[in-house]
Amino acid sequence: MSGCDAMAQEKKAGLLRRTSSSKKPLKEKVVLMYDEIFTKDDPAKSNPRFWDELFLMKVNLEYLEGKLECLDGDEVMVMKNNLNSLFHHCVLALEEEHQIKVVNALQTLCALFRGVHQKNKSATGFDIINMLVGFDKAELRMKDLMESLDSLLCGDGSESLKSLCLKLLLCLVTVTDNISQNTLLEYVMINSIFEAILQIVSDASSRGQHGYDAVVLLALLVNYRKYESVNPYIVKLSIVDDEPTLDGLGMVVHQALTEYNRQYKDKEEENHAGFFSTLSSMVGNMFIADTEEKLSVQTNEAILLALYEAVHLNRNFITVLAQSHPEIDLAATPAPPTPTTPVSPLGTTPPSLDVMHNPELPLDPNLQTSNLLITFLKYSSIVMQDTKDEHRLNSARLCLIILTCIVEDQYADAFLHDDNMNFRVNLHRMPMRHRKKAADKSIPSRPLVCAVLDLMVEFIVTHMMKEFPMDLYMRCVQIIHKLICYQKKCRIRVHYTWRELWSALINLLKFLLSNETTLLAKHNIFQLALQVVSLFNMFITYGDTFLPTPSSYDELYYEIVRMHQVFDNLYCMVLRVSTNVGQWKEPASKVTYALVNVRAIINHFNPKIESYAAVNHISQLSEDQVLEVVRSNYDTLTLKLQDGLDQFERYSEQPKETAFFKELVRSISVNVRKNVSLNTLSQDVLLKEFSSIS
Amino acid sequence: MGDTELELSPSQEEELQKSPSASSTSTTSSLSLPSSPSSGPRPLTSSSPSTSEGLSTSSPPLDVISEGVGELSLVIDTEVAKKACQEVLQKVKFLKGEGQTALVTAEPGLVNGTGHAGASDVDCRRSRTSSKIGREEAPPDTGKSARRRQNNNSSKQSWLLRLFESKLFDISMAISYLYNSKEPGVQAYIGNRLFSFRYEEVDFYLPQLLNMYIHMDEDVGDAIKPYVVHRCRQSINFSLQCAWLLGAYSSDMHISTQRHSRGTKLRKVILSDELKPAGQRARREALQPPPPPCHHGQGPAEHSLSPSKRTHQRSKSDATVTISLSSNLKRTASNPKVESSQDEPVRLTPQREFIKSLMGIGKRLATLPTKEQKTQRLISELSLLNHKLPARVWLPTAAFDHHVVRVPHTQAVVLNSKDKAPYLIYVEVLECENFETSSVPVRIPETRIRSTRSVENLPDCGITPEQRASSFSTVPNYDNDDEAWSVDDIGELQVELPEIHTNSCDNISQFSVDSITSQESKEPIFIAAGDIRRRLSEQLAHTPTTFKKDPEDPSAVALKEPWQEKVRRIREASPYGHLPNWRLLSVIVKCGDDLRQELLAFQVLKQLQSIWEQERVPLWIKPYKILVISSDSGMIEPVVNAVSIHQVKKQSQLSLLDYFLQEHGNYTTEAFLTAQRNFVQSCAGYCLICYLLQVKDRHNGNILLDSEGHIIHIDFGFILSSSPRNLGFETSAFKLTNEFVDVMGGQDGDMFNYYKMLMLQGLIAARKHMEKVIQIVEIMQQGSQLPCFHGSSTIRNLKERFHMSLTEEQLQVLVEQMVDGSMRSITTKLYDGFQYLTNGIM
Repeated sequence: MSGCDAMAQEKKAGLLRRTSSSKKPLKEKVVLMYDEIFTKDDPAKSNPRFWDELFLMKVNLEYLEGKLECLDGDEVMVMKNNLNSLFHHCVLALEEEHQIKVVNALQTLCALFRGVHQKNKSATGFDIINMLVGFDKAELRMKDLMESLDSLLCGDGSESLKSLCLKLLLCLVTVTDNISQNTLLEYVMINSIFEAILQIVSDASSRGQHGYDAVVLLALLVNYRKYESVNPYIVKLSIVDDEPTLDGLGMVVHQALTEYNRQYKDKEEENHAGFFSTLSSMVGNMFIADTEEKLSVQTNEAILLALYEAVHLNRNFITVLAQSHPEIDLAATPAPPTPTTPVSPLGTTPPSLDVMHNPELPLDPNLQTSNLLITFLKYSSIVMQDTKDEHRLNSARLCLIILTCIVEDQYADAFLHDDNMNFRVNLHRMPMRHRKKAADKSIPSRPLVCAVLDLMVEFIVTHMMKEFPMDLYMRCVQIIHKLICYQKKCRIRVHYTWRELWSALINLLKFLLSNETTLLAKHNIFQLALQVVSLFNMFITYGDTFLPTPSSYDELYYEIVRMHQVFDNLYCMVLRVSTNVGQWKEPASKVTYALVNVRAIINHFNPKIESYAAVNHISQLSEDQVLEVVRSNYDTLTLKLQDGLDQFERYSEQPKETAFFKELVRSISVNVRKNVSLNTLSQDVLLKEFSSIS
Repeated sequence: MGDTELELSPSQEEELQKSPSASSTSTTSSLSLPSSPSSGPRPLTSSSPSTSEGLSTSSPPLDVISEGVGELSLVIDTEVAKKACQEVLQKVKFLKGEGQTALVTAEPGLVNGTGHAGASDVDCRRSRTSSKIGREEAPPDTGKSARRRQNNNSSKQSWLLRLFESKLFDISMAISYLYNSKEPGVQAYIGNRLFSFRYEEVDFYLPQLLNMYIHMDEDVGDAIKPYVVHRCRQSINFSLQCAWLLGAYSSDMHISTQRHSRGTKLRKVILSDELKPAGQRARREALQPPPPPCHHGQGPAEHSLSPSKRTHQRSKSDATVTISLSSNLKRTASNPKVESSQDEPVRLTPQREFIKSLMGIGKRLATLPTKEQKTQRLISELSLLNHKLPARVWLPTAAFDHHVVRVPHTQAVVLNSKDKAPYLIYVEVLECENFETSSVPVRIPETRIRSTRSVENLPDCGITPEQRASSFSTVPNYDNDDEAWSVDDIGELQVELPEIHTNSCDNISQFSVDSITSQESKEPIFIAAGDIRRRLSEQLAHTPTTFKKDPEDPSAVALKEPWQEKVRRIREASPYGHLPNWRLLSVIVKCGDDLRQELLAFQVLKQLQSIWEQERVPLWIKPYKILVISSDSGMIEPVVNAVSIHQVKKQSQLSLLDYFLQEHGNYTTEAFLTAQRNFVQSCAGYCLICYLLQVKDRHNGNILLDSEGHIIHIDFGFILSSSPRNLGFETSAFKLTNEFVDVMGGQDGDMFNYYKMLMLQGLIAARKHMEKVIQIVEIMQQGSQLPCFHGSSTIRNLKERFHMSLTEEQLQVLVEQMVDGSMRSITTKLYDGFQYLTNGIM
């Protein structure tokens, strides 16, 4: 052992001398060796220790990748054996005790995957496998590779090495734009590294360092041929029920989203700060701030996808949403590595001591306890503020999809409505001319469902624009509908100011009406109008089951009567469209039917109010007076119960959302590939670390 | 084993009697281990022929023998103990039979069995001085002088013996004699006699026993110790209770003495978990014969048995026993062949960690400024704690064996307190036969609640049976299907919920729920808007009066909710709720508060309660369980279905009487009358308690009202000689406000007379059994710095309040006077005003 080490040192020293003394015309030794590979002769023939030496030398990624890119089809066939051999020896080197060899092998593999793919964008996956590994050996080689990576990830080895393994995997997963076309991943499916990913996520210290990469990797792997075949990662993710692991997964997401929220807030505050400070910080941070923002926007979609997959696939993950981690908000830096006991079935062993002993959780009196759901809501409120560019729009859409999944879950609904779990959630509100920025402190502590409703109302009132995000509006109204269905069924009376929601919905109808022609060119606005009117029908006919007070029912009528013109206009419009022949005939007539009760209310109360005004000689009735009229005239009003008000279509990814997710995963892949840059791989730090080890 | 015990026990006793000084020194020295090798003069050994082995100071066999003794006391069971008791009795008889001269300590009171305290006090003092003299004058001859004294005692002891053997001799008397008698023989006898009482009986006096152990002389300690050690071996719960109490009651000692006190040492021994069940050890011993003596010098035992110790081992103090035991265990542990690791380290650990983490939460909460933050923090901390459950942990305040499986964290509330952060948690437990041996329940994930559907109708999607089996391994029939998520939840909800609500909703409402799900009727259904509006207001009116949420008083809502309602609600939401042995418990965790006075009050209340029950006086009081964990932390069993009068008044904005009318119905209804009677009976009970114990700080935040109309006093922080600040407030005997009298139907009502009559009966009954009450307080005064014992006259004053000298007629006058005085008392009102100003308590 030690002899071997000494030899390696010696070699390295000799090598350094040579490279330092050699001038430009002389090529690096490693480059020469690469050149040897790119011939048809077996390089080991002339030098039996060729492969040994190769992995002792610093990888020249650019050269290697460039070389691979330059190859044309014929050349490849000539040197296929050498390439296969290189791959094979890379895999072999991963088992080496010598960490420097492992590092070099990992980096070489990375270059191989990238280089081969960049060259052969059009080539089929099978050609690539053949070129890289060789068909006959592919299964065996890839199995060895995955096993080595697995043991490196799970072992007690260096953290940098683990990080490099994850980078390699991310590199492998993202070599193609469309992940499902990456045939090499078939081997990652067969030889699952799912358990390794989970282990990283569940352990506090490794989570801090590699959690992010591991979670992104998992999110991507889950999306491999998601709709075409049985993806073992989907199956496995859906059955995880180990709480520390799920918690760890949640914490990684929580941390990433928190970090984003924090950056956003900093930026916002910066904007509010004085001119001078703005200027100076602009000068100082021009680049950093810029890149940072871009980075966070890009990466957050990957993490959001991970959150989606966890919420969507794993029913146990829902509990994690409400899990509070007082320590997580404190610092963006990863939590100090605390020793955690290995995952063992609880109950058979005594409570492990790490939580029991809880080394004094850091305390900050001003700290608001948060949880993943709150952080997610805050994040959503930021993302939804601006949906103008495609990127943001997709991000907002994903947020709403996640929320849809959450509100469809009974357990999540239970804690959303839990009266004992009150939080102040400071949602970000778009600064708008016609409204003041509400003071943050005034937000009362309420059940979380109020924050969800606030977010929805906020979205509704801030997105009535030319580029109408129809799809997002539909999701938004459906989320509200699902929440109300739950409340009706469980007879939960949320003390929410429903009035805000009603007026937001009425304004939405108003907007639809005034932009009818432009909107109809692109969207089926009747669908949305029907949803909105159905929501009103829920309140009108089932209000007794979930409204907080009798007077809130009166207020509903007041609001409808007050804004009766909107409903009148809507009725005229849908009546007009439904009597014409055309594609909107049927959807419009549905809205006509749905408006029955609203019209009944208006027709019933309007004359009453007018006569009240006439009798009492008042030109303008006050709110209290109208409410009085409403209250005293309920009994003569008959309503019609409508079918299916409290029924809804459950969210399902297939087939409606497949296109969205395919596109989303593609853009995430491209981003991740960019971020897993060559630079991060060839960091000198790494080499330094490993040259001193061994 | 039993035989040897019989042989050895008397000799042990004999030695105790012979040389109290010797036994004392040896106890201390053997306990203090190597740190005090010089203690213990050796000459003493020579006087005792029965321990001749002791002469050879450094001979190895000695150690073996001392260990042998240790093992014997390990396996004491009740049978053996009974035999031992008889043995002692015979020995006393035998001494008497020898017909030697009588007595130093004559105790006239003992003969008639009521034990006149004053007299025995004097006697004790005399006996103590005499023994002191004996010690000073003739140290080498202490044995003989003691024996002489013993024999002198004999004529009186025959009476004593007859008492001790009689059926009348109960645990209360045993404690009393243990405390009052200074006769080592009597003490030792009672120490043995403890084994013959039922555990529950002795457990009640555990604070007294341990306080005596800590603060009284060695003889008492030596008498108590075998019993304590024996029980510790049997029960983890008992071990921890002892350890906690020992810690708490040692805390008043000066720090320097505390460290070396016997209480601290016993506590250490218990917490080091050396007191394991005898059975296990015996088994292990059977597996491997005791190692040859020569091992001793090398083994870890070497420390514990320094040469100086060996000279004293004839006293066979239990300290030596435990020490040798520990070394013995270590030695076996070091031998891999006999090592059975699984039951070794974790006997006490889980529970200690559980309690510790609960206390840790309390400490951290105290640093947060607002109630809201405290509540949020509490919830999040508890949710983390949940991850470690189920475990072999339990709530010591519960009456049955169980394992804690889950803390419904969102139900926890922070209680009202100015600077501390006491909090109330609900704890889901599974009842079991024995929490030490029954297996810990398996964990069921939180979301399990949703997947109670049958497994059959789940789609089989891409999972092999093996995979499923492996995923099921932790939770049987948990449908871990990857597709299951998409078919559950709301669909399930739609089916289930209407059923749940059938009972609670009126028909019309039910109709509206069903109408949409049943698609059969194509006929349009019409409903009147008026009906909807009416249902809404009716349903809101019909829900039981709940309190409004108030972030400044989060506990009000939680406490107002009827217990059964809460249990049902939590059970429905719990993944463990379907299990038949599921139970809900609650506990208040107090951190930073000394609960020793509370414990004392609990004992007195409990004692008075049983006295009143025995004497058939229908007074109602509710002693709530107290767990003292240290001198500044503990747990309290909450009173269920009760809120403080302050909360009642603040939330309802009604007078107490109007609140009664609102909650229970009109004056003439059965419900109101029952509630009123409950109120009167509890009022009378607590007025007596307040008077006897001088309970102060009686404001409406400290008086609860339960759903049946009983009042319950809580917070006994100021009792006996202590009162809050010296403002001269609360001078009346007890708190009796006009509002209370109004509920009783006014001063001229029958119920008010009934109230006074109950007080009189209660006082007469209490007086009859005064000793039983005094005893509890008096023993706890030993070595205590608690404010309730401040001054020198606490016990005397307490006794005076029983008015032994008054006739019943005079007592009646007294009660009248107290009631009048309390009612007129302006100070009560003043005090309420004062509380309102300072603490916002109405």
